[in-house]
Amino acid sequence: MLKQELIQKNPIRHLNSGDEGKITARMGLVVARAGLGKTAMLVQIALDSLLQGKQVIHVSVGQGLEKTRIWYDDIFKDIVENCNLSNPYEIYDEIMRNRMIMTFKESTLTRARLEERLNDLVFQNIIRPGCVVVDGYDFKGGDRRVLADLKEMAQSMGLQLWFSAVSHRDDERTSPSGVPAPCHELEDLFDTVVLLQPAAGSECIDLNIIKNSSGGGVADTPLLQLDPITFMIKEGC
Amino acid sequence: MRDLAKTRNIGISAHIDSGKTTLTERILFYTQRIHAVHEVRGKDGVGATMDSMELERERGITIASAATYCDWKGHSVNIIDTPGHVDFTIEVERALRVLDGAVLVLCSVGGVQSQSITVNRQMTRYRVPRIAFINKCDRTGANPDRVIQQLRDKLNLNAVAIQVPIGLEADLAGVVDLVSMKALYFEGDNGEIIREAEIPDNLKDEVEEKREALLDAASMFSDELMEAVLEGSPTEEMIRTAIRKGTLSLELTPVMMGSAYKNRGVQALLDGVTYYLPNPTEVDNFALDLDNNEAEVRVSNDPRDPTVALAFKLEDGRYGQLTYLRTYQGILKKGDFIVNARTGKKTKIGRLVRMHADQMEEIEESDAGDIVALFGVDCASGDTFTDGTVNYSMSSMHVPNPVISLAIKPIDNKAQVNMSKALNRFTKEDPTFKTFVDSETNETIISGMGELHLEVYIERMKREYGAIVEVGAPQVAYREAITQRAEFNYTHKKQTGGSGQFGRVGGYMEPLEEGEYEFVDQIVGGVIPREFISSCDKGFQKAKEKGVLIGAPITGVRCVINDGAAHSVDSSDVAFQLAAIGAFREGYLKAKPVILEPIMKVAVEGPTEFQGSIMGSLNQRRGMIIGTTEEDDYTVVEAEVPLSEMFGYSTDLRSLTQGKAEFTMEFAAYRPVPKSVSEQLIAEAKKEKEKK
Repeated sequence: MLKQELIQKNPIRHLNSGDEGKITARMGLVVARAGLGKTAMLVQIALDSLLQGKQVIHVSVGQGLEKTRIWYDDIFKDIVENCNLSNPYEIYDEIMRNRMIMTFKESTLTRARLEERLNDLVFQNIIRPGCVVVDGYDFKGGDRRVLADLKEMAQSMGLQLWFSAVSHRDDERTSPSGVPAPCHELEDLFDTVVLLQPAAGSECIDLNIIKNSSGGGVADTPLLQLDPITFMIKEGC
Repeated sequence: MRDLAKTRNIGISAHIDSGKTTLTERILFYTQRIHAVHEVRGKDGVGATMDSMELERERGITIASAATYCDWKGHSVNIIDTPGHVDFTIEVERALRVLDGAVLVLCSVGGVQSQSITVNRQMTRYRVPRIAFINKCDRTGANPDRVIQQLRDKLNLNAVAIQVPIGLEADLAGVVDLVSMKALYFEGDNGEIIREAEIPDNLKDEVEEKREALLDAASMFSDELMEAVLEGSPTEEMIRTAIRKGTLSLELTPVMMGSAYKNRGVQALLDGVTYYLPNPTEVDNFALDLDNNEAEVRVSNDPRDPTVALAFKLEDGRYGQLTYLRTYQGILKKGDFIVNARTGKKTKIGRLVRMHADQMEEIEESDAGDIVALFGVDCASGDTFTDGTVNYSMSSMHVPNPVISLAIKPIDNKAQVNMSKALNRFTKEDPTFKTFVDSETNETIISGMGELHLEVYIERMKREYGAIVEVGAPQVAYREAITQRAEFNYTHKKQTGGSGQFGRVGGYMEPLEEGEYEFVDQIVGGVIPREFISSCDKGFQKAKEKGVLIGAPITGVRCVINDGAAHSVDSSDVAFQLAAIGAFREGYLKAKPVILEPIMKVAVEGPTEFQGSIMGSLNQRRGMIIGTTEEDDYTVVEAEVPLSEMFGYSTDLRSLTQGKAEFTMEFAAYRPVPKSVSEQLIAEAKKEKEKK
């Protein structure tokens, strides 16, 4: 399979618009309980952007650089195996050149710091990201103003900004449309919200798209699932 | 005969500047092997005892791993002090190969640094049980809890504190032992007096909490301890046995702490070494039986079995070559004969000594599991010695290929003679250091693992052998490789005068994902007679020594022959070798060759305020930034950078960061150079050729 075909056929297309390399500022959220595949999902969003030729910064809060790197290697390996991708080494080399991982301690990630880092990278012509994924951001401790600031930053820099958030079984608060705590009061800040939930009657994980301003609306999006073993996104049956 | 259960062969490994040498120095002082302490960069000008080479003392770094021996509470402890700089990694690897346990030293401020990761990976490769020692707890910003968390997160170790510091930074007074539940204070001018006391009130809650964590972790390795914990009556003995079991199985890493410089916690660490690290009988070591198709044989550690010993380090001393040996079974006795398994050469054991840095103690015999040194044995590093009744070789060590080379030229005849002596010695001592004479330029080339590695040898040549040499610019070890499959069909024909030559070789070449070279014979029907198949192989191997782009060796190529022709009179070994060389050259250009260059994995650590400048400096050097790790005000930038761009980086980094950042690098992989660089290299090679 050729790269272009892979980009077009990728089920993630329903969430991450294929705008032929153009960058549309947008903020997305993947929310789920622990262990359901949030990181895998963010990595797939990042890889999709990388395949489209965009540059990506993966911000990992509280996780080591090596662990994050392994996620990319594993998921790319799965893509190569599933899609029988031609010239995988060249593509891998190309996308790794366009990806950068930044790891922060939980307490140190602020808009000011992230913006300073991004500006540094852009100013020195090291990387000009079209997509930034933030894994492990503490929504419980963070306030609304910080997120609104980050959204503003994404808009001013023309970025797609994706977050992951952990929900808890014992916290039953939800927004009217079903976004669970701790993000239930922040829904309006996001353009796309995906809730990962174990599928009833199967081992797969459903991607419950609560809000989607990319391409079509929620109703137009087919059922998407995560494979429980590889955490790869697939169209559900 | 010594009690093996009371023998420990340990290494002390860590990131550069974590205080390994100071720690070893204090250990020697407390075990009364030396009677005064000297600092590594001390004002008394004596330098630390373990840094026996003059150069090491001057630079405040440890280059060669000096072996030393000491006694602690009835235990014999052999210590190998290992270098922290990654250029000398072969020393660390060699030390780990012969050790049974190790102390991983970490800085309480810097925590797990890039080199700690490399050293830890090496320890895991050789299955070395380890204790972590968090040193420099007296320094501003000391935070042992953070370091323990890093041991878990970054090194994936099940690290658990077995001590709690009493005070930190300038207030560091001692440690609380979570096993005996006693506070230990280190008093006297050099901390030699240990005072046991009750746990200070302000630490009681923290101690209780951490002891509980320790008991939880340790009881995973002992049902007896688990029951005792539930009943509320665990004994010291039970806890120590469980920690030991976990450590030996590499499933637990006990963490101790203190400050070697301020004489806090070193004696407790020595106790830890005897409690938790294995004796030689508790470690499985394997030899290869050369008489039995290199089958693996477990060595017994039994002094009554035939002798098997490994020469793991050579040094040129005042009295000739000094060979460090680790005995795995049997004994070494003065006057006995030993046989070098590689050369078959028989040698009489003359002087047998136990080393204490650069001083020595004569001994009559050494037991299984011991580390000693011999005089007057001609061998190379990594050779195995036996008593001749068995033909074993200890498994080979992983030796990386050199990535950088320099041309050196002696300034006069005297220097020429001394240089040869020095190079002969160094290549025997260090398998990663290689030397040869370039047949085209007639220059002597030395190659090794990094700029500093070669610099140190040039200095040693000057200081130890009086050989002053002029040094050329460092050269990167480029390679060439093909990128696609290509057919060849070449006929070598010479039938003018005398006996003729004829051979035709047909087939294809293709890139090989792993490995340097592969030859595949698919000839059917005897179109190339059997006796000339190996000639084709030889021809290909000769052809791949020099690529056509810049004359660099070719790597990663599979040559397949499936067609050919021979002549009943004119075909010969030489004719088919020449035909294969011609075939290779024919296919090579069609196979779209590229130039490969060594890429180094570089980690730069420094204050966060310099992160932007550090990334910029790496980017300017064609570096691919992998990522950054920010913790508090400290940042590590990891990147992959071509070696050719890293020359002089330490000076640039120093001026960019006011000397506050440091970097380490190690070889990562060979990768194709960008087109512009490739064109430049080809042009340079062409110019060089024309000059000749």
